[in-house]
Amino acid sequence: MTSRVLRMAALAAALGACSSQPSAPVPPLVLTPDVVRLAAQATFGPTVAVVQDIEQRGAAAWIDAQLQTPPSDLGSYPVVADNVNAVCPVGSANTCYRDNFTPFLTETAFFRNAVSGPDQLRQRVAFALSQILVVSGAEVRPNYAIAEYEKLLLRDAFVPFRQLLEDVTLSPAMGRYLNMVNNDKPNAARGTEPNENFAREVMQLFSIGLVKLQPDGSVVTDSSGVPLPTYDQNSVIGLAHVLTGWTYPLQTGATQKTHNPAYYLGSMVAVQSNHDPAAKVILGGTQVPAGQTAEADLALALDTIANHPNVGPFIGKQLIQALVTANPSAAYVARVSAVWADDGHGARGNLGAVVRAILLDAEARGDVKTDPSYGRVKDPVLLLTGPARALGVTTDGVFLASTAAALEQPPYLSPTVFNFYPPDYSPDSTLVSPASALLDSASVFARANLLLRLLYSPPGPDRTVSGATGTQVGLGDLAPYGNDSGALVTSIDALLYHGTLSADARQAILAAVNGQGAGPSWIRAATYVVLTSPQYQVER
Amino acid sequence: MRISRRDVLSGLSVIGLSAGLLGGRRSARASTDDYRALVCVFLYGGNDGNNMVVPVDGRYDDYAAARRPQADGGLALTPDQLLPLAPVSGAAQYGFHPSMPELQQLWNDGALAVLFNVGTLVAPTSKADDAAGRVPRPESLMSHQDQQNQWQTSLADRPSRTGWGGRLADELPPASLPPLVSVAGNALFALGASSHPLAVPAAGGPAFGLSGFDSSAGSRAIRTAMDALRGLDLDNALVQSVAGETAAAFAASGALAPVLAGTGSTTDALFAAQSSVLGNQLLQVARIIEARSVLGASRQIFFVAIGGFDTHNNQIDRQSPLLAQVSGALAAFYSATVQLGVASQVTTFTLSDFGRTLAPASGGGSDHAWGNHHLVLGGAVQGRQTYGTFPTLALAGPDDFTAQGRWIPTTSTDQYAATLARWFGVAPGDLSSVLPNVGRFATEDLGFLG
Repeated sequence: MTSRVLRMAALAAALGACSSQPSAPVPPLVLTPDVVRLAAQATFGPTVAVVQDIEQRGAAAWIDAQLQTPPSDLGSYPVVADNVNAVCPVGSANTCYRDNFTPFLTETAFFRNAVSGPDQLRQRVAFALSQILVVSGAEVRPNYAIAEYEKLLLRDAFVPFRQLLEDVTLSPAMGRYLNMVNNDKPNAARGTEPNENFAREVMQLFSIGLVKLQPDGSVVTDSSGVPLPTYDQNSVIGLAHVLTGWTYPLQTGATQKTHNPAYYLGSMVAVQSNHDPAAKVILGGTQVPAGQTAEADLALALDTIANHPNVGPFIGKQLIQALVTANPSAAYVARVSAVWADDGHGARGNLGAVVRAILLDAEARGDVKTDPSYGRVKDPVLLLTGPARALGVTTDGVFLASTAAALEQPPYLSPTVFNFYPPDYSPDSTLVSPASALLDSASVFARANLLLRLLYSPPGPDRTVSGATGTQVGLGDLAPYGNDSGALVTSIDALLYHGTLSADARQAILAAVNGQGAGPSWIRAATYVVLTSPQYQVER
Repeated sequence: MRISRRDVLSGLSVIGLSAGLLGGRRSARASTDDYRALVCVFLYGGNDGNNMVVPVDGRYDDYAAARRPQADGGLALTPDQLLPLAPVSGAAQYGFHPSMPELQQLWNDGALAVLFNVGTLVAPTSKADDAAGRVPRPESLMSHQDQQNQWQTSLADRPSRTGWGGRLADELPPASLPPLVSVAGNALFALGASSHPLAVPAAGGPAFGLSGFDSSAGSRAIRTAMDALRGLDLDNALVQSVAGETAAAFAASGALAPVLAGTGSTTDALFAAQSSVLGNQLLQVARIIEARSVLGASRQIFFVAIGGFDTHNNQIDRQSPLLAQVSGALAAFYSATVQLGVASQVTTFTLSDFGRTLAPASGGGSDHAWGNHHLVLGGAVQGRQTYGTFPTLALAGPDDFTAQGRWIPTTSTDQYAATLARWFGVAPGDLSSVLPNVGRFATEDLGFLG
């Protein structure tokens, strides 16, 4: 143990000494459990303000208002060159690389907005989409490129899926990440073939998946029980040829080339001379006629993919898993697939309508869920933003961004295109629980120790970050209960457990609280115990 | 070995764990005379084996013709770059990638073997069988996630929630610490029906224990509440699984934390130049092996991993530092086992998603393929030899099921795993419970472990 280790008792004594002004007792929080549950599913963590807003408007009206709320500002970042020679000049500040060639600054904005932005549902859905249609700063280095991609997902969180798919496909960051940019037609002289990377993943990960699905998400098999694949290698090769002939957008003032230099604002542009004009066969045997432009080929391919019957259950189920429960019933998936197929106005893939259907479904709503397989293990990001929002944290995002990295979930910086965890990860042999892939015996301690830091010694401004303000814990909605342990635990139960705390669990937390000096240390001790509990780590 | 039981005990008191862990079970610890460990090194993304080991005899021309010159956006390494692998007698037939001098040395020392064209297989197959559909292909061939899973489960014809490392551990008698240790988080490889891996941080990583606790009443009250909450509200299976993971971490922390912090380690210096992702993981493995008798371990299965091998573009520049890291870290680890006197009791081996196309892709990369070459390292390895059949390096040739150079494997993951499992001590009659499909293949012992 190092000298930097925190001493709870010492802190508790210090903090206890400067508190405890006698005041009139404040009644404990009383919140509608189902509304708190909705806030946990649709935001980065319930606050009393959000819960009361939903209580007043009603769930459907609150969601509709959220669908109309514009994206929070993610900031503007300098355009930097991105080639093998692009480095920070000799003599530049040692923050040059961090600020320009890692997504650090964008991540601080991500966390500032997640903690306090009004567009909570949009951000939450964009975060889910960022884990399905993955671009990572591990490969796409310029910070402004990652920011641009995050803005795309925020903007498109509720648009028709076909639109999202096109915007993502032509995003220069995605083009760079999965090698669709400067992907040229076959070159016999050089012996090169079109790059298959994006062609494969756009089907496998971003739209339809590997095996045919029923609308309820169950797998279609042949007579001997073998799953039927959605596509074969020839479809990948065909699509790779379809997707040839795109390069980076043209930077203002530059001259158009067949391979433009890396530039990440706007959409990729077609270069017909690099596009393969031959006929191709893609998904489902669809014929792409010879002689079409790169744009026409792309439109046909994206229509074919977006209209595939798998998209609704494949993407819809992952959104359910990201927002509500990791093991949805087949009927729940089928209801969401039906809205995917037709939003009620004849439109397919209306993401806003799909999100609304997911959140208002009977399987999502209710005060208490007793099904033993119900719920989802929280992402590390939510284990940070939830406490930050409930405890009135004000932050510049720096501590949360670095903490997310330590907890293996830095947004927009996943290790591979397969996200931080696979969507079918199972911690044992029975249940699916994607986020459980990040929970192991090592991360148990990492999580507890970082929450301790947040609660007991949040860091002040990092002087290497421009405009840094640090992180402060105001204790927010729980602040009034520093002298009333009973009301404190009741309020924590209402806000963080939506009223599900058993009598024994309540007793255990009370005992921990009463073992400290009264005041803020009561609140900190209670929340540390709660936030590290298995119960809190599962949203249900 | 410098680490003593006393260090571990003092570690326990620092962490504040109750002495329960040190109960009777510990006194019955197994003899370490027959200690054995398997170390799985997963190369995530699909390592391009075609450039890891290259023929230097007459077949080099086939290689160069298909891979194309680097100046044209191709991938061919030049003859003078390759590090020759001289066999025990005769001329070298193969050479290593230039970034692997340490592994070339271990080959020369007889501690390293190369296994050719291994892959996920439902059953033995050939180009004709494959083309006629007589033998089904593995499910979702060439998909990263699925092929990573199948390499880790060695079940190419069905989904599985257990990996072969986990099933191997299921065969072991109960031990005070889980026999499976991952230094790379949760991995399907290490999940058994009843076995669950302990995940530990890499060397230099965060503490394997709770910060901020001391012997004060306030600390004790918080710890008591945490322990109590972990046993409550277990009606929900997800809460139960989080509680189980948390309990396992707390139970292991006392004994392991000082080991993982490097207390008493005599091999740290060997890793001084290997502070890489893989180096820091393998150093942690070396520390645990050094502490094996205090930890009561007689059979251990380790999992370490490094990513970045999905080289769809710019492969020449990207693969070199990765292979350099593998070479340096594996060599440091092997030196550690020599120093600890357990070189012949520890076998290290590579797995990876799949091989890559021999033909280059647009952008100077290669695409997903099937069969691949792998490395096995250790004192028990019959090294300085190759095993299996090297494919014919011809596009659309006899080993290619496409036109881009994707090798149909001639050795299965089952055979690879079975050879390791037999050495680890699984009786031949029990092999099928670890590797249910191994009986479909001609031999379950490839011979690289004698």
